[in-house]
Amino acid sequence: MKLQFKGTKFLVSVVFMYLVLFFINSEKAASALQKSSLVLLKLIPIFLAVIILTAVINYLLNPKQIVKYFGKKSGIMGWVYALLGGIISHGPMYAWYPMLQDMKSQGLRDGLIATFFYARAIKLPLLPLMIDYFGLIFTSVLSVYILVGAYLQGNLIEYLLSRKQKN
Amino acid sequence: MNHEEKPSVIQVLKKATFGFISMSPMLLSIIGLVGIMQVYVTSNMIGSVFGQGMFIDTFIGTFIGAISSGNPSVSYVLGGELLEEGTSLYAVTAFMLSWVTLGIVQLPAEATALGSRFTLYRNLLSLIATIIIAIATVATVGLIK
Repeated sequence: MKLQFKGTKFLVSVVFMYLVLFFINSEKAASALQKSSLVLLKLIPIFLAVIILTAVINYLLNPKQIVKYFGKKSGIMGWVYALLGGIISHGPMYAWYPMLQDMKSQGLRDGLIATFFYARAIKLPLLPLMIDYFGLIFTSVLSVYILVGAYLQGNLIEYLLSRKQKN
Repeated sequence: MNHEEKPSVIQVLKKATFGFISMSPMLLSIIGLVGIMQVYVTSNMIGSVFGQGMFIDTFIGTFIGAISSGNPSVSYVLGGELLEEGTSLYAVTAFMLSWVTLGIVQLPAEATALGSRFTLYRNLLSLIATIIIAIATVATVGLIK
């Protein structure tokens, strides 16, 4: 297995950005760096969970099974898994990129990824907080619309991508 | 028939770790940008841009949510404060939705991991969905109440 780093140029440009900010306002730049460090620390458990989950998926499902459950012919259950996965997933969206990239290379359909990402707008542990701020009716209506929107988005993206492929 | 051999636990863990490490420059870059956004995009700044009418505020809310970053609970608290300050519920809803579903700072990473065409379509669709859902939610809640 050979390591091929992705985004090194991006990282170099962010480091350069910090250097420039340090020259302009070192206090704010230090504060930004501190906030980034805190975000990184908070994300470590999620990153570990994503690595373990990726390993578990690869251990339990071979590429053919991934195609079966999450591929083009996964049917209604594929959408259900994507919606549920989105709702129960934690952490920021980018923490899930490595796992989804790996699954996509094995046959995960694009529509399910889009659905998974949009369903993440429903945060189960934060629902009580949202109800407290905005009320039960608002939270319930919003959650239902998010689910519908996530499903429609998954279908639309597949339509758009397939249309592009045909052209 | 050619039966594939089941990989060992060590093999799958190694593969998953390597896959993750290969994405680490991308992830560190995003985290670095998140810190910058958290310092430079303040709640006062966010509050000051609203008050332009329902449609424009919904667009502004979507845009601000897309460039902001942090735990979603922060968006609820900020949304609650904005609402108290008189910002429309349309804008606040769009802001909270785009906070979680859109991310300008993570676009390069998403494109690298999942493809640029997918990223473009997904973000455009999410943007449209956020605006529609924000308006539909507030309208529906208004009808129910």
